[in-house]
Amino acid sequence: MPDESRLATADRPLVFAPKPSRAPPSSAIGPIAWMRANLFSSVSNALLTLLGAYIVIVVFAAIINWALVDAVWEASNRRECLDKVGRAGACWPGVIAWIPNLLYGLYPKDQVWRINAAFLMLVVWALPLWLPGVRSKLAIGLSAVLLYPFPASYFFHGGEQDLLWTALIALGLAAFAWVWLTTFSERFTGLSFGAFVARVTGDAEQPEESARLRARIGYAVLYLAALALAAQWSLSEVPTRYWGGLFLTLVISGIGITFSLPAGVMLALGRRSHMPFISLCSTAFIELFRSVPLITILFMFNTMLPLFLPVGVEVNRLVRAIVAVCLFAAAYMAEIVRGGLQAILRGQYEAAAAVGLGFWQSTALVIMPQALRIMIPTIVGNFIGLFKDTTLVSIIGLFDLLSMARAVGEDTTWLGLFLEPFFFITLIYFVFCFLMSQYSLNLERRLGAGQRR
Amino acid sequence: MSAPPAIRLVGLNKWFGTFHVLKDIELSVAEGEKIVVCGPSGSGKSTMIRCVNQLERHQEGEVVIHGRRFGESAAQDEAIRRDIGMVFQQFNLFPHMTVLENCTFALTWVKHLPKAEAEAIAMSHLERVRIPEQARKYPLQLSGGQQQRVAIARALCMRPRIMLFDEPTSALDPEMINEVLEVMVELAESGMTMVVVTHEMGFARKVADRIVFMDQGEIVEEAPPGTFFARPRYDRTRLFLSQIL
Repeated sequence: MPDESRLATADRPLVFAPKPSRAPPSSAIGPIAWMRANLFSSVSNALLTLLGAYIVIVVFAAIINWALVDAVWEASNRRECLDKVGRAGACWPGVIAWIPNLLYGLYPKDQVWRINAAFLMLVVWALPLWLPGVRSKLAIGLSAVLLYPFPASYFFHGGEQDLLWTALIALGLAAFAWVWLTTFSERFTGLSFGAFVARVTGDAEQPEESARLRARIGYAVLYLAALALAAQWSLSEVPTRYWGGLFLTLVISGIGITFSLPAGVMLALGRRSHMPFISLCSTAFIELFRSVPLITILFMFNTMLPLFLPVGVEVNRLVRAIVAVCLFAAAYMAEIVRGGLQAILRGQYEAAAAVGLGFWQSTALVIMPQALRIMIPTIVGNFIGLFKDTTLVSIIGLFDLLSMARAVGEDTTWLGLFLEPFFFITLIYFVFCFLMSQYSLNLERRLGAGQRR
Repeated sequence: MSAPPAIRLVGLNKWFGTFHVLKDIELSVAEGEKIVVCGPSGSGKSTMIRCVNQLERHQEGEVVIHGRRFGESAAQDEAIRRDIGMVFQQFNLFPHMTVLENCTFALTWVKHLPKAEAEAIAMSHLERVRIPEQARKYPLQLSGGQQQRVAIARALCMRPRIMLFDEPTSALDPEMINEVLEVMVELAESGMTMVVVTHEMGFARKVADRIVFMDQGEIVEEAPPGTFFARPRYDRTRLFLSQIL
């Protein structure tokens, strides 16, 4: 209560001095206080806590006993495992023997390095996105999405190159080299690669025209070098029927995920468009693909698409599956994006228009960044769902991770060994999905800076 | 021959569906003039001010800004619009950008100025509205009054010749209204052409050259503040004034 010992007079009001803040009492903070408040706040709550702890311990003990303690690690066939421990412990040798197939399918053993090299290339390509001091992150990200597929598909598939194919692969290689050249030059000189070339080849006094010309010559030299490399590059052909396992799962879901976001954004904008034709087409596409199960779409693309194509044109089975997955995922993504767009207040469009932005600028720079941030949990949820849905391609005869796991128990040496491979791929699926979901949480935190409401 | 008026609304009619929101609006605002628009809610005052920069399209009549008519070509419409700054009731700052980015954003993307130059311009306007120290914060970390002052700075960065204010203080806590009004008074003193929809009659009395009173989609009367408050001609105006004063 304010000090009232002095009486207020007409010319001397009371002085209000706010009380200083104190630290909370020690019983309100710390782990013990937390446990008391959350785990043992009442008798029933305490009982529930103990019961829950008991169930967790029993289940985990059983799993650990089966998977580790009683498990067999060395055997040459399933009979040996059963003789040693019966069904009480896991029989891991079967899974270990099959690991190459689980990861790479029927890809020739001596060529497997190509898959590893291509995935390593992707990691190295995207690495600068997480380095501080790199400014061309948008260009680097775009190059990874648009140009990485060319060298990667040559790594995976190999075989003869025609002229166009060589040119595209060279474009990918040049972009890869550019990513790292520009990363180094921006980190150490603060200049982009083009500006760096211009600086090294001439002095700063020369007019801008000539600097730009020299930067262009730099890019041309880079591309010609890549072209020479691509023309030399020759790998044996590995047809897609040999692709399988985790590798195939990652290829299908990776392409599906990268394609679905931009395609979904365009479809969502199309559906909200004021132009009736565009809006009608987008809506029809979205509703058609959303109302049919993925399995049906895969079947349709696999068996019926060839009937509609002209005679002699043959589309690879894998490509058919990928196209089906992409279109399906895009339709789902479109509705997620539309939901996010609806959450953006009209005032944001008006403010953007009032400072003079056109439709595409305000969509790309004002509306989408906000909508996508709200949608991150749903979008990543959809990615995770898509990643797991790719198991459905096994029904049209592609050997993804799940079908390879099933094949272990059909192998005569390991006949009937189903539980262990499924346990193993469960771990693989868990690791990938968990990483995606953690990354999404991390992204939410970073993009949410200063935007708590 | 004198310069064309900054804003000229000729025979403006607008419908939302079948509802007639604006009826035969005629208004002319000279360069440097300050107009305050008031009226009961639903009288069409916001719709009218939003027709001035064509956030709302009208169905009949003409909107002419500095002698250039809206609707002749898309390029000219964009150019006219760049001459008009607008401040909204709900601020409408971009929440995913810092205060400084809110201000430099249009300079870099619409006027294509280099970053350093855009930031210099933005800082000078943030100083003008007296919050340069908040430049690195995000809008939602600021108070309502500060957000509205950022919104004013953002609009001024584009060097508009006309400023529109759509109930700029209606969403503010009472103790923050004055800091925004002070900035607006200074802006008025600098000679900017302003159209302000507001119920702040103190501001109107101090700043306005003319007060426009609207009801049911029509301009009922327009008069200089002295006449408007002392001798309103219509009973509708008197009733309105008796309710808000």
